[in-house]
Formats: sequence, C-alpha cells, structure tokens
Amino acid sequence: MKDISLPHLNYAALAPMLILFGVACVGVLVDAFAPRKARYPIQLVVALVGLIAAFVAVVLRAGKVTAENAITAAGAVSVDKPALFLQGTLIVLGAVALLLIGERALERGGPFVAQAAITVGSDADQRQAARESGATEVFPLTIFSLSGMLLFVAANDLLTMFVALEVFSLPLYLLCALARRRRLISQEAALKYFLLGAYASAFFLFGLALLYGFAGGITFAKINESAQNGTGNITLLYAGLALVSIGLLFKAAAVPFHVWTPDVYQGAPTPVTSLMAACTKVAAFGGLLRVLYAGFDRVHWDYSPIIAAIAVLTMLVGSILAVTQTDIKRLLAYSSIANAGYLLVGVLGNSALGLSSVMFYLVAYGFTVIAAFAVITLVRDADGEATHLSRWAGLGRRSPFYATVFTVILLSFAGIPLTSGFTSKFAVFSAAGGGDQSWLVIVGVVSSMILAFPYLRVVVMMWLSEPGEQTPSVSLPGMLTSAALVIGVVITIFVGVAPQPLLHLTSEAANFIR
Amino acid sequence: MTSALHLVAAAAAAGEVTTGEKAVFFILAPIALIGAIGMVAARNAVHSALWLVLTMLSLGVFYIVQAGPFIGMVQIIVYTGAIMMLFLFVLMLVGRDASDAVIETLRGQQAWAIVLGVGFAGLLGTGLARVVGSLKVVGLEQANADGNVQGIAALLFTKYVWVFEISSALLITAAVGAMILAHVDRSLRDGTAVMSQPERMRARFEPGSYPGPKPGPGVFATSTSIATPAKLPDGTPAQRSISPILPTRELTAAEVANKQTEGR
Amino acid sequence: MVDGYLGSYALLGVLLLVAAAFFGVAFGANRLLSPARPAEPAGKFETYECGLDPVGGGWAQVHIRYYLYAYLYLLFAVEAVFLFPWAVVYLRQGVPAVMEMAIFVGILALGLLYAWRKRVLVWQ
Repeated sequence: MKDISLPHLNYAALAPMLILFGVACVGVLVDAFAPRKARYPIQLVVALVGLIAAFVAVVLRAGKVTAENAITAAGAVSVDKPALFLQGTLIVLGAVALLLIGERALERGGPFVAQAAITVGSDADQRQAARESGATEVFPLTIFSLSGMLLFVAANDLLTMFVALEVFSLPLYLLCALARRRRLISQEAALKYFLLGAYASAFFLFGLALLYGFAGGITFAKINESAQNGTGNITLLYAGLALVSIGLLFKAAAVPFHVWTPDVYQGAPTPVTSLMAACTKVAAFGGLLRVLYAGFDRVHWDYSPIIAAIAVLTMLVGSILAVTQTDIKRLLAYSSIANAGYLLVGVLGNSALGLSSVMFYLVAYGFTVIAAFAVITLVRDADGEATHLSRWAGLGRRSPFYATVFTVILLSFAGIPLTSGFTSKFAVFSAAGGGDQSWLVIVGVVSSMILAFPYLRVVVMMWLSEPGEQTPSVSLPGMLTSAALVIGVVITIFVGVAPQPLLHLTSEAANFIR
Repeated sequence: MTSALHLVAAAAAAGEVTTGEKAVFFILAPIALIGAIGMVAARNAVHSALWLVLTMLSLGVFYIVQAGPFIGMVQIIVYTGAIMMLFLFVLMLVGRDASDAVIETLRGQQAWAIVLGVGFAGLLGTGLARVVGSLKVVGLEQANADGNVQGIAALLFTKYVWVFEISSALLITAAVGAMILAHVDRSLRDGTAVMSQPERMRARFEPGSYPGPKPGPGVFATSTSIATPAKLPDGTPAQRSISPILPTRELTAAEVANKQTEGR
Repeated sequence: MVDGYLGSYALLGVLLLVAAAFFGVAFGANRLLSPARPAEPAGKFETYECGLDPVGGGWAQVHIRYYLYAYLYLLFAVEAVFLFPWAVVYLRQGVPAVMEMAIFVGILALGLLYAWRKRVLVWQ
C-alpha cells in the first residue's frame, strides 16, 4: 500500500492563488444573494480588495523565497522568483484592467450586457441595452481567470499547467460574449475564441501525453533529466514539445496560430480586450518561458531555429497586416501579434538575460496596452465606441488632452526613446544579440519600422485632419477609467525615462526552480 | 486512432498479447474507425453524434482491456452518457437543418484543410508508429499494484491534490457561464411583468392595437388546418386570424373552389 | 476488482453480457408488451379538425432551458467520477481526505446555489 497522506502545502507560497480563488467564490455568492442594486459596488470592492491582498501576499513571499522552499504541493507548483514576479505583474495588470471592467460612468449600466441570454435585436434586448445595468458576474469571472493565470506561471508540471490553462481560458471565452453593444460580433468572437482555444488545448494535451511517453513523468525536472541523460525516445520529445508549444503559442498569439486575435480583440468588450492583451500575454509567455527554460533547456539548440522562424513570421505578419487595418481595435490586435514576435526574440536569448528582458517587456507592454484600450473606451458616439480609424480624424482639435495621451501611447508602441516601448524593445533585442541571434534583431528592427507607420498614421490623422461631423466626442472618463489611464501612462513614461528599478527587479527574479 | 496504434505497437513490444485481447481489438478497432468516419461523413448531425457514441464506446472497452477499468468506465459514463447528451441537446437547439451550410468564406479552405489535416495525421501517425514499435511497456504493474482505482486515488489525493481542488474552479466557471449565456430571468424583464393596470389599458387602446378578440382561423370553412386564415367579408384572407408563427399555407385548388353549398 | 489481465476480461465479459442482455430485454419487452395488431382504420393519421397538416420533418427546436438541466447533470456526473476514487481511500487518509472532498463538493455546490437563486431550477 502506498503512502497517501496529504502532501505538504506551503500556504504562504500558495496564498495569492488561494486568496483570488476564494474571492472569486465569494463573488459568485454575492451575485446569488446580494440585492440587485448592491451587487455592483460589493463586487467591485471585493474584487479590488482581493487583488490587493493577493499582491501583498506575493510581496511578502518574495522576501522569503529560496531555491529550497520554492517547490510545494508535492512538486506540482513551483513558486520561484520568476513565478512571483509574473504573479505580481498579473495581479497589478489585472487590477488596472478590472478598473476598466468596473467603469460605469461612460455608459449607463457599464460595458457589459445585463442578460446575455436575451435574443439579440429583440424588443427585450433593446430595452435592456438602454436601461438595465450590466451583469455583475464579470467580476468573479475575471478573478477566476486571474487565479488560473497565477497558477499557470507557477505550474511545475504539464498537467498542472494544462488545468491552469483551462481555468484561465474558460472565463475569458465567457467574458468575450458579454458586450453590451454589437452583441452579435461579440458572441461570434467568443465562439471563435472558444473553438480555436479548445483545439489548441487538445494539441497541448496530446503533446503532454507524448512527453509522458518520452520521460515517464510530466514534471519539468523529470523531462529535463531524461533529456540530459539521453534516455527516452527523441522523436517523442520533439513531437511532444512541438504540440505543447502549439498550445502555448496559440495563447501568445504567434503566427501561424494568431488568426483568432483580430476578430476576438475587435468583438470582445474593450475592457476584456485590455485584460486579454495584457494579462493573457503575460501568462502565455510566462508558461512558454517555463516550459522552454525549465523543461527543455537541454534541447535548446534543437528548438531554437523553429522558434526563431515563428518569431520572424510573427513580427513580419503582425506588422505588415497592421498597416492595412482600418479599425483601431484590429490595428492594436495586429500590433499585439507583432509584439508577441518581439517577445519570442527575447525568449530566444535563452539565458537569465533573455528571461529578465522578456519579463521587463511584458510589464512595459501590459501597462501601455491597457492605457491604449482605456482611451478607446472613451472615444464614443451614440452607438457606443467609434473604432473605425476614419472617425478618429481630427480628434486632436476636438479634445487635445486625450489625443496627447493617445499619442504618447502610440509613440511608446512605436518604440520612440524615453518611452517604455523603446527600453523594452532594447532589452529583448540586446538579450537576443547576446544569445547570438543578431539576424533576428535585424528582422525585429525592420518590423518595428514597418509597425511604426500605422501608429504614426493615426497620430497624423488625429492632429493634422480637420474634425468633421463624423468625429465623435471624447467622453469624460469616470474615476476608474481615469485611474487606469493615469497608471498606464505614468508607468509607460516612467519605465521609458528610468528603467533601472524595473530592470533591477527583473534581473533579480530571473531564475527558474524546477 | 492513435490509441489504437499505441495498443498494437505497445502490445507487440511487450510480446505478451493474449488471444482474447487480440480478438477484442480486431473486432472493436474497425468499429471505432467506422464510427469516426461515419461521424465526419454523416449528413445528418444527429447521426454524426450517434456514430461518435459508437467510437467512444469502443474506446471505453479498449481502456478496460488495457487494464484501465476506471478510465474505461468514466469514458462510458461521462463521455458517452453525459457529454453526448449535451451534444444532442445542442443539436436540438440549433435545429437539424442548420448544419447544412456549405458556403466557403475562404476559397479553397476545405481542400486545404483536408490536405493539411491528412498530412499532419500522416506525419504524426508514421512518426509515432515508428517510435512505439521500439518502446517497452513499463510501470503498469506498479501503477495498478493496489488496484486501478486506488492507484488513481493515491495520485489524485496526494501529488495532484492542488490541481484537483483548482479543477473545481473550472467546473463552477462553466456552470456560471452556462447560466449567464442560456438563462433569462423572466422576473427581471422590465415592461410586461411590472406594468400597472392603467398602463395595460392604455396600451390596449393605443392606436395600432386591436382591443377586441381576434377572429378565429378559417378552419371549418375550407380545411381542417389552423394555418388557414379566415376570410374577411370582401374575400381577402384575414392575416390576424392565424398565429404569426405559423407558416402561411397555400390552399389547394379544391379547397379554394366554391363548395356549392348555397341555397340548400 | 482487477486481478491482472484475467480480471479485466471477466469485467469485460460481464459488461458485454449485461449490454447484450439489456439490449435484448429492452427490445424483447417492447415486442411482447406492444399490441400485436394495432387498429389502423382509414384516416388514422390525418389531422382532425384542427392542427397543422403533417408535412415536413418531425424535428422541432427545443428551448435552451433544457440545456441548463443537461449541463447541471454533467457537472455532477463529473463530480461523481471524482467521488469513486475518493471512496476507496478516504478511510486510509482520514480527515484530510474528507476536507479535500468537502472543499471540492462545496465549491460545486456554490454553482447549484447560484442556479437556485437565479431561479434556473424554477419552471417558468
């Protein structure tokens, strides 16, 4: 008889996940029992307090973590320094995105539909679009998703990683379907995301099975050990790694697994898009880094050329297709694809430098992209957000302040010095250069120059065109959106002007414990 | 299909396949394949689902033969039972004919999908077939030492206890999601439920409303169908007399013809 | 339950027998219990006085509310799957095992609680 006593659970290390998980369950209870009017304030406060508590738990843990006490739950979870850094990043980015999700000043009832089951376009639908306040289930769903992401970046074996992948994906699929305006396109986006996501998960699971065949175990330590000793069948290793990577690269929106991105980014409610653009990217690259660095370090030379090819494709396809876009949300979607390419370049640095530069990039990009989507929620007319690019012409004359803010964000995306976009691109490219991948850096720079064109075109349109009748007004943001916008822009500029503190933090954290 | 490959190759490597196991495999493997092909090829979505049941049942038996009775039973109870039922519900929701759309939004998409899908399956299939031929089956005895279910329990409640608890998050998310997307709380619909009596009366006599009872359909006059509209005094059909959800019914010549009942 | 390969075969054999017996009994009972010579007078299948003419398929779309019941059933089927292995070890692990399962079931029960409060379980 095997010993089946409960393994040691290090509650201090698991606390952030436990807190978020508990808070999400409380959110479900609130939605079930609180009176309708009281739900929104209670949910918002509960969610924000939970995120703050989880962040405090991460910070407290960061002071105490060592190589010995990082691994817990019988080896299933590894709360090491990169995991803690990424968890902290996820929590803060999630909190900022949650501010956008909770905003109700821009539109009566907020950006989410009250009852998603009511037929689109029916009388009841028109009534609820005009009057009823949005579903408050979005708060527990967001928190569930974030708790899944926290586990995803800390998973120490592939099975844990798979469950975490599903836990963070499923709420996102649901959130995509809940837009108040343009509900059909939102539902279509959710369905596409769900079907393709389920397909990608199946690839991940298939790869997991093959890797189990290769190593006889699914922990990263075991896989690494087998690869090092040369035991196990190498074909299973390659096939398994390829299939697992497909699952991860899908979430990271790398070409050719990117096709869902523009449709989903466009169709989802803009606050949810910001959550996906910032947090999903952090989680996906956190998971990819751990798989490649902690599990497959030994076959680094074998996978590098393939990841490099994907990186080149991602950068070029993302930036070239961004040029042709006429919708600002699609434009940012393709830009996020190109950014996934830059991040992959950093991943190929394959050293502590590569790891720290990717983490740096994720923080910088996350805050900027949330701020960008925050501005998009503000530019609206009677039908909701005006996302067509032609509608943005002349915005600089009409509301110079927000046009300036958006210009700063776009310049950061374009990688102009003194913004976070420059320092972060510099970090990943220099890590890749150090990792002997200089030709990737050249492609990266060319791609950034192509990508700068659509950004600058928007800037030129905003400032140099005359505002027409079509130009929508910029709504006065509520407190929550203002806070998100301020945080995003301040960090964009701060990381651009003084990157040292964040660089220090990421290079401190750059060491995986298997 | 891959698990079938696995089975053949792994068993060949182990070199200890008994006749009974072979017999079960060679009877059920073709059935599983036929089910899979039938699922893709069937024109009717419900038939597709039933073919899939066949494949899943065969797979369940395979698992049991491969000394995994627990997973085999789960395959039969959860997949062929609960999940297939959910499949059928979805099919009934969308309607039987809705799956017949064959419009290609991207030209050549289907051809490319078939080429790439077959290529991918060929690549993985041949690769795995070569690999598993040289693999030895190890660890089955240890894993099932205390019994199959006990072995799973030992893993589930020790090493993967954290994952096990987290998976409850998945289930509750799915439950809440299904209710958000599928459930309309009728008590919350504004308008009808909270309309006061004066409002009701005002709405009833508003211009455009028809305050009196609606005319009955022309059932007894010309045919036995309630989809037959009544006729107004000038002979035109009264659309108001039939329910708007009924299909308008074309009358046959015999029904339209005068019934010669005058003056009797 | 399983003693090496032979045990599996016994299980499989019993399963096949039970399946065949179930199939036979179900159809046999139907054959035995149904009237052998149902009356089929002329016009039996025609619409009587009201109702739609029997044209087209007999397929009707069902309301999505049924899906929720099916889904809730699936949820607890999955829970039951986890309960089986738990049932064979909880005596050996003692209090922690009970706690683990209590948390799991408790969280799933939240879903049921939510359904109840949202009046999903009320026919309306």
